[in-house]
Amino acid sequence: MASIIDIKEECALHVRNFDFTYKGAEAPSLKKITMPIAKNSITALIGPSGCGKTTLLRSFNRMHDLYPGNKYEGEILFDGRNILDPKEDLIHLRTRIGMIFQKPTAFPMSIYDNVAYGMRLQGIKNKTELNDRVEKALKDAAIWKEVSDRLKHDANGLSGGQQQRLCIARAIAVEPEVLLFDEPTSALDPISTQGIEKLIIELKDRVSIIIVTHNMQQAARVSDYTGFMYLGDLIELGYTEELFVTPKEKLTQEYITGKFG
Amino acid sequence: MTAVQKRIFINKLALVFSTLSAVIALAFLFWILGVLVMKGVSALNWNIFIYEGAPPGYAESGLKHALVGQLILVGMATGVGVPLGILAGTYLSEYGKNSKLANTIRDISDIMMSAPSIVIGAFVYAVVVIPMGHFSAWAGAIALAIMMMPIILRTTDDMLQLVPGTLREAAFALGAPKYKVIMDVVYRGAKAGILTGVLLGVARVAGETAPLLFTSFNDNFFTTDLNQAMPSLTVTMFNYATSPYEDWQQLGWAAAFILSMFILGLNILGRLILLTRKKGK
Amino acid sequence: MVDKLFQNLTRISAFLILLIVAWIFVVLFNQSTEAMQTFGLDFITKDEWAPNVDKFGAYAAIFGSVASTFLAMLLAIPVAIGVAIFLSEIAHDKIKGFFGVSVELLAAIPSVIYGMWGLFYFVPILRDLTGGMGIGLLAAGIVLSIMILPFMAAVTRDAMNTTPDILKESAYALGGTQWDVIKDVIIPYAKAGIIGSLILALGRAIGETMAVTFVMGNVHKVPTSILSPTTSIPVTLANEFTEADTSLYFSSLFGLALTLLIMSFVVIAIAKFYFLRKARRA
Repeated sequence: MASIIDIKEECALHVRNFDFTYKGAEAPSLKKITMPIAKNSITALIGPSGCGKTTLLRSFNRMHDLYPGNKYEGEILFDGRNILDPKEDLIHLRTRIGMIFQKPTAFPMSIYDNVAYGMRLQGIKNKTELNDRVEKALKDAAIWKEVSDRLKHDANGLSGGQQQRLCIARAIAVEPEVLLFDEPTSALDPISTQGIEKLIIELKDRVSIIIVTHNMQQAARVSDYTGFMYLGDLIELGYTEELFVTPKEKLTQEYITGKFG
Repeated sequence: MTAVQKRIFINKLALVFSTLSAVIALAFLFWILGVLVMKGVSALNWNIFIYEGAPPGYAESGLKHALVGQLILVGMATGVGVPLGILAGTYLSEYGKNSKLANTIRDISDIMMSAPSIVIGAFVYAVVVIPMGHFSAWAGAIALAIMMMPIILRTTDDMLQLVPGTLREAAFALGAPKYKVIMDVVYRGAKAGILTGVLLGVARVAGETAPLLFTSFNDNFFTTDLNQAMPSLTVTMFNYATSPYEDWQQLGWAAAFILSMFILGLNILGRLILLTRKKGK
Repeated sequence: MVDKLFQNLTRISAFLILLIVAWIFVVLFNQSTEAMQTFGLDFITKDEWAPNVDKFGAYAAIFGSVASTFLAMLLAIPVAIGVAIFLSEIAHDKIKGFFGVSVELLAAIPSVIYGMWGLFYFVPILRDLTGGMGIGLLAAGIVLSIMILPFMAAVTRDAMNTTPDILKESAYALGGTQWDVIKDVIIPYAKAGIIGSLILALGRAIGETMAVTFVMGNVHKVPTSILSPTTSIPVTLANEFTEADTSLYFSSLFGLALTLLIMSFVVIAIAKFYFLRKARRA
């Protein structure tokens, strides 16, 4: 059976008995996942491809709802409510739980408009407020120095690493409580990757972070907790330093020593 | 209303508008299709296939002349346009590749594909009909072949480029000369795609009226003489539909129905071939 | 040996396309010299088209072509974009497949059938609604818009479908609604492709003969109202080419054909080389 540690700090999210089934699939892709996500810390999800880590991540902001026919069962508790409730207000949910994708996804608009986009969606029109918050978000994402003199330029002119930091700025500008990272550095070079990792660690004072990564070293470098998933099951959740040194499950042991993957 | 509520409202409005426009568009299009089927089917009978054209008021009038003429014209155009198009497409994909020249030919051929078909009719009139002194099936077939060639060229070029380079290299490694590699490996690999392109090209050209108006012209009687004017379904349809006689108009709808079914059939067949190939892989 | 032969055969076939295009221009140009020498610029600026006195001014036909195409675009663009949005973003998979294929098949229906429908079914309704003859600029514009609608919707949908899912998801992840994603992400992203597709449809409309020839009226007058019967270049060619009896008349018709060819070449070249190439690069 799975070995899930008890998290003593406050939790941002609670996954309970969560099943997820893709449209048309016979068996669920996620099976009875139960998992606490600690507040203001970084939880990494690792596992071989197809293990369900991205599927789980995309459940937290109900991204699967974009493609009709998928089925959720069980509970994900956020702020005392089950966000899997069909009546959940997804627009509101997604402003509180932000997401960063595998590849940089700069919108076809200027750097400034990219960062302001989420705030404008919320109806913020005041110029000075927008300016201040765009500047702050860009500073927090450690990209302000590079772009402050060309805010009106097309965002697609930036390098991959810069674009990814821009996307992080765009996500934190709306001040979410949770940020989901879906293999955020898989399309980046090692130096940009280092920058993004540093940024993620800095962000955890303000948001709770869940990061999916195919790179075990990355999980070890940035996260406080690590969950190992395999074939739709959460096999083990533990403190990162413990999980990588003294895993409790045989499967985890085999995976981190490279017996399969 | 908060900003978010306003957005949700606008969202609903926009989605309703776009669904509505889809409904309106499809209503018009199905109206046309409905007219075509109702009028066409009610005008269908065996006489159509047995008799040739007759003056209005004759019971024994049909479309045999136009059906056969249409087949001859499209068949001849296919016989000329398809081989030329495939050869030209082969040049672009296998020899010209990404050279400036090949790209220029691609561009010109693309523009050619969208050129007004009536202009091609005028051109063929000048270079074939005037020297011959009269309308002919040859002229009509040439006009259609000119329209067909760029379509076939384009699909052949695209389909051949989809054949993986490693397959060619493997054949070369066995010591085959280039033409053998192309004939035995590349064409075979792209067979389904080229066939679909040919079917769609034939379908596209078979529905053309404008380039035939003053090349093969029209005739109300059965003929297989390629040196004379030749009837076609499309031009017959045009003439009958604009005539004041009800029985001719009926025949016009029958012609429209038969031709549309033929063209839809080719389109569907072409899609099925691509689909089964995709599934096979 | 065979190898060289085959290569040359393919090369000659490829060059044949260039040759034909050049040949078309040369022939149309030669055939229309008489008209151009006789009328000069008046050929395209004067609207008197009087075969009985050998006077030919193409302005009315050019105006009719432009006006009917403009009208068709005005009517078709919003609907086509609506249909494209419906097909790419709103419809469920099954409906999407069914309607998507029907739209593509409808684009394959011969245009002469749109013309017949227009003459027998649409013009009478228009006549009852607006009075007058029914036949005219408005009828031509509407029939033309319906004819290009399937093609336009299909290519616009294809352009919209090039937007990567991940980009759309990013906008949803910020709390965007479907419409926010369409207007802020999909349309800006696919802009060049959409505009290129629309212009390509315009190129089709301007050269279209059979859909409008029944319903336009073939009257060589610049229309005084949207309901007036008028003519366009293809309509004039279709109706008069086999009736021309003087060499100047013939030459003037070739002049019309050349004008139409140049118009459509320019339109299509803009669509292909400016917008669609840009779209492919993005």
